[in-house]
Amino acid sequence: MRTSPSSAETRSSLKFLSPFLFFFVLFLLFPIFYSLYLSFFDASEGFGLSNLKWVGFSNYVQILGFHFQDGSIKLNDPAFWWSLVVTALYGGISIPLGIFASLGLALLLHNKLFGKNFFRSAFFLPNILDMLVVATIWASIYAPQYGFLAVLTKNFLGENQFFFKEGMLANPYTALPAVILAMVLKGAGFGMVLFLAALQNIPDSVYEAADIDGASKFQQFWLITLPLLRPIIFFMFITGIIGSLNAFSEIYAMTSGGPQIVLGEETLGSTTVSGFYLYQQFESGQYGYAAAISYVLLMVTVILTWIQQRFFPAESH
Amino acid sequence: MIGFSPFRIVAFAVLLLILVVGGTAIIEQLLRFGSMVAALFFASTMGFESGSNSSKAAGELMLKFAPVCTGTTYVVLTVIVMLVLTRWMRTSIQNRGNFLRTMFLYESLIIGSAIVLFPFFWMLATSFKPQGTELIMKSNPFDVIPDEPTITNFKKVLKLDAPPPGETGSEISPTTVENQKNFGTFFKNSLIISTIAAFFVTLFSAMGGYVFAKKELPYKKTLFAFFMGTMMIPGMMYMVPQFFIICKLGLFGTRWAMFLPHLASVFGVFMFKQFMDTIPTSLIEAARIDGASEYQVFRVLIIPLSMPIALTLFLLTFLFHWSNFLWQLIVTDFEAPLSITLPVGLALFKGQYSMDLSLIMSASCFSIVPIVVLFLFAQRYFIEGMTSGAVKE
Repeated sequence: MRTSPSSAETRSSLKFLSPFLFFFVLFLLFPIFYSLYLSFFDASEGFGLSNLKWVGFSNYVQILGFHFQDGSIKLNDPAFWWSLVVTALYGGISIPLGIFASLGLALLLHNKLFGKNFFRSAFFLPNILDMLVVATIWASIYAPQYGFLAVLTKNFLGENQFFFKEGMLANPYTALPAVILAMVLKGAGFGMVLFLAALQNIPDSVYEAADIDGASKFQQFWLITLPLLRPIIFFMFITGIIGSLNAFSEIYAMTSGGPQIVLGEETLGSTTVSGFYLYQQFESGQYGYAAAISYVLLMVTVILTWIQQRFFPAESH
Repeated sequence: MIGFSPFRIVAFAVLLLILVVGGTAIIEQLLRFGSMVAALFFASTMGFESGSNSSKAAGELMLKFAPVCTGTTYVVLTVIVMLVLTRWMRTSIQNRGNFLRTMFLYESLIIGSAIVLFPFFWMLATSFKPQGTELIMKSNPFDVIPDEPTITNFKKVLKLDAPPPGETGSEISPTTVENQKNFGTFFKNSLIISTIAAFFVTLFSAMGGYVFAKKELPYKKTLFAFFMGTMMIPGMMYMVPQFFIICKLGLFGTRWAMFLPHLASVFGVFMFKQFMDTIPTSLIEAARIDGASEYQVFRVLIIPLSMPIALTLFLLTFLFHWSNFLWQLIVTDFEAPLSITLPVGLALFKGQYSMDLSLIMSASCFSIVPIVVLFLFAQRYFIEGMTSGAVKE
């Protein structure tokens, strides 16, 4: 039986916990409810916190709802749904690519090598640098006419449309892949260190046993290494999903949500991920609408977490 | 018995070719960069005051250094190739497969790290380019080092190039708000905000972690699980309500607004709890028997023992605030230079000088270079700290 702590001990515990608790309640716990409250308001006219007007559920209806027009279903806010699609694309491409790149690097480094620590640090370094600045550098590399890629390809291809005149970030079909490439190169070192640590924890005896049983190198990788690395792969999926939902600085610095793409009757930003869309609403003074969007995004996170707990229970701790 | 294998000869030749081409590019660029720094240093000590003259002088010095760079590159490369060739000849035929594998490993790692680090090298090199020379083509497309390096860009970014006060025709006087919007101010703001935030986050997390690891509290486990659960919430979620709270507290546009909402770090408490779990409870009991108060136990025993994790959390929090762009952007009052931090300053600057690549790159240096230097000295703490969440969970 657990004895309940004495009141003196409880008081002293609370004293130690109080600074953390104060800021947690004020800036992390309260905002979750405050956000819900704000999502029922809308800015009546222009900027300002004071002229918010109670609008009930109309923000949510606007975000999630649809209406009928000329006999077909129209979404009330197609830009929001599109931002979810872009986020899914962004995560769906960058997460597997990132896992692939970092696993490849870890396998290369998991050998007896001279200068192993140097390579480890070199690949890890971009991870700790400011996202906005790294994205700014990449935006300059992709920039038309004077960017590195433009100058480099001018030597081989002349003044080509793709790299020189337009630049990869101005083309709606290559803008998102260009952002993803930059982010994968920035982030690959992080997963590499995780994979490397996990690889070093696999005892040699396992592979020796597999050798005796006649397993090929490929079989050993597929049937032994990969399953043992599953917790890391899983962790990278989870952090990758949170990262995609939080993606903002890279989009702000590289594309500002553009270039525009026309889908049906709508003109949409080809790299407007949900985080950037939320910022755009916030920036234009639609505070209540932005709060409602962030609540919908929270629900998306909760659903994704539920799916994870439901279908991958063993690795969720 | 494996005898003569044409496949291996071809593979060896290809790898050797990659070694020569890649090696030349990488070694020569590094040497040229070194010669550029040396030339800038000598040119400035030779007493040239105005920007264009000193950049011409540096350019002439670099021309003199050029044969040395090229020569050294070829000598180093020849030595490496000779070494590889002799090793190859000495390796027995059975072991040549292994030899090729090792060679492939090294080459892919070197080329991989060159690709990953190239943007930062390019940033450094471009920041020394005189404005308007970004477009100049060179015979070697990988040569990104400027021919006539200059430090004018850095002076411009720091707004040291403004005419002295009282001079006729000067639009900007050095004392105006506009002139305070320079990267010196931004750097100072970021440094102050990040350091204060990192100190308090570390302190509060240590106190919280101590409670969860070593002290008693009703519903302690439930509370801890609840805290952990909130880590799954994307940070974006907090943007709107935190902005309202900051505005209602009247802190919009101040330095306080930049870090106050992030002082409670669940991750920090988690890290400290994990670490303090390993401190033997008998130590704490012994200290209590000796008459130490709760505060003394924490101050004299717990803090010194937790120093490695405290340092790790300090560095990680420092980094977080150094690059916390979105939040700092929305609470920045662009009229008050004291609240503009490095990332926000860069975004502002990018809007003003979007075509001046070399200016933007020299502005980027203010954020990148200090962190790279910090990383060189404390990389163990960074790598272990950032990956601890995954390994221990």
